[in-house]
Amino acid sequence: MAYAVEITDVHKRFKAVHALRGLSLHIERGITYGLLGPNGAGKTTLIRIMLGLLPPDSGEVRVLGTRMPNKAVLRRLGYMPQQAALYDDLTVRQNIEFFAVVGGLNGDVRRAADEAIALVDLSERATSRVRELSGGMKQRCSLACALVHQPEVLLLDEPTVGVDPQLRVQFWQHFRHLNEQGVTLIVSSHVMDEAERCDRLGFIRGGLLLAEGTASELRQRAGTATLEEAFLQFAEEAAAGSQLPVASL
Amino acid sequence: MSTKRILTLARRVIQQLAADRRTVALILIVPLVVMTVAGILIRAESSPISIGIVMNDEGAVIPLGSRAVNLGQNLSDNLGGLNDSFRVEVMDAETARARLDAGDLDAVISLPADFSAQAVQTRELNIPVEYEGSNPMTARLLEGMLTRAAVQTLAGLTLIGGLDLTTPPVHLQATYRYGSADFDTMDYLAPVFIGLFVFLFVFILTSVAFLRERSAGTLERLQATPIRRAEIVTGYMLGFALFALAQSLIILGYTIWGLNVHYTGSLAVIFVVEFLLALMAVNLGIFFSTFARNEFQVVQFIPLVIVTQILLSGALWPIKDMPAWLQPVAWLMPLTHANRALRDVMIKGFDLAQIAPFVLALAAFAAVFVALAAQTVRRGAGA
Repeated sequence: MAYAVEITDVHKRFKAVHALRGLSLHIERGITYGLLGPNGAGKTTLIRIMLGLLPPDSGEVRVLGTRMPNKAVLRRLGYMPQQAALYDDLTVRQNIEFFAVVGGLNGDVRRAADEAIALVDLSERATSRVRELSGGMKQRCSLACALVHQPEVLLLDEPTVGVDPQLRVQFWQHFRHLNEQGVTLIVSSHVMDEAERCDRLGFIRGGLLLAEGTASELRQRAGTATLEEAFLQFAEEAAAGSQLPVASL
Repeated sequence: MSTKRILTLARRVIQQLAADRRTVALILIVPLVVMTVAGILIRAESSPISIGIVMNDEGAVIPLGSRAVNLGQNLSDNLGGLNDSFRVEVMDAETARARLDAGDLDAVISLPADFSAQAVQTRELNIPVEYEGSNPMTARLLEGMLTRAAVQTLAGLTLIGGLDLTTPPVHLQATYRYGSADFDTMDYLAPVFIGLFVFLFVFILTSVAFLRERSAGTLERLQATPIRRAEIVTGYMLGFALFALAQSLIILGYTIWGLNVHYTGSLAVIFVVEFLLALMAVNLGIFFSTFARNEFQVVQFIPLVIVTQILLSGALWPIKDMPAWLQPVAWLMPLTHANRALRDVMIKGFDLAQIAPFVLALAAFAAVFVALAAQTVRRGAGA
């Protein structure tokens, strides 16, 4: 039970696209794990498969020891989709309280919402309608909705896209804070400088896990100075082994 | 004004439309469908007005010339010969009552034993007629026709009698099985409006709300929580049904007290029908939202789902006037059952047991649409 997520040889094919082709991945509990790769690499598909939103064609997905898809285990997971995915006509508080109850929070909804609102620094806008918020505020509200029911594993799909640098720093502070409380974070990104902040990284491309390790391990193994170069190095190696075209970020 | 810019913009508008194949198809096909249905209905021969005659008239002897006449028989013959749109049947009182109750006859004329004798004696024609009454237009039409037939009958009487050339007066002693003499077309149409508005608005609101749920990604987010499909659909139904009942209350109140529409049935029964209509509309909305990519496409469903249904639902054209092959199609429309149930309750004062067939049909429709909606919720935003 040491792993938050265990993925074994998962395949997923959409009509024309082979999105995941035999991907295996293990993510320990209590860390921040970065899924890194270009657009179309299969990151979102992988996250949706972990949540059980998509059934895999073959292979096995276990989250917190339970085989997915499984509705009961979703109470222990939090999900922040790529788009803000909020109810525009409702206020910040109404959105957060809604997802607290639907997410299966045990206990005082109002207090949990207060804490989540404070955590993302939206206390002054708690009664504003989401429609009136700026893009960054929407992202923060979306994060609050994902964590208000106090999940053990948080899956964040590109959480810092379109977020200004200052807010990005705040987000990563929250993530660290959550790790300290034992929460596992799985963060997808195509921004390499963010990857440096993750405890472990998985390079994903063409539906495969190219390489995995800490940022410094990956740089060392590739013999490159930056993570970006390391990614390209691994992508080229993989392309040499198969017929995949050379990666571009 | 730059022609180039205007032309470029016009071209872009056309490109966008052409790229949306479903919109193009709907724009081209829907008017044809609606006009075809309307055409069939308008051109259909309306079914004859049915009159039942309970004939007890024993006839009478006209004093001068001592000729026996049976004015009741003459009246009956004259009515039948008036034109093709009348069907006159002679029957016993019991049958007449049963068929009038069932809405199978539009009027019953009960001619007493002394019908002719009275007429000869008083030189007036008193015709007791009981209208079915739920469609005031039919009653008005009948009134005119009956008077004409009566005048013809009396014309014979003057010739026979040869005494008096002035036409004796005709009195229609009208009673109404349902409704009353001051029923007008609004009384006939109001029940239909009451059902239609609930159905229309709940359908539009749910389609748009659920479409937003899909396009904003909140549906996917919901699916990543422990909430079940059945809970989502039930929650939507409860929310919108309460909304629809509040709307019904206002419409109904305004119809009865603001517009002075006659109404005899029980408010509770009306709400049962409205509630079922709302449930159907919610689920139909969820179902159709799957096929729409944006609000624009939702709006396009209205002529197809709503207008066609109004035409076929018996709201304006009675179903018995439709061509035989179209009548089963009409009964496949949920609104047909709702209209019938609401009219029966509001005009005829029927109780829940009497409209049970229609209520059960509505419940069955609702069940089918719930299943369809639950299936479509499974399909997430991107899948």
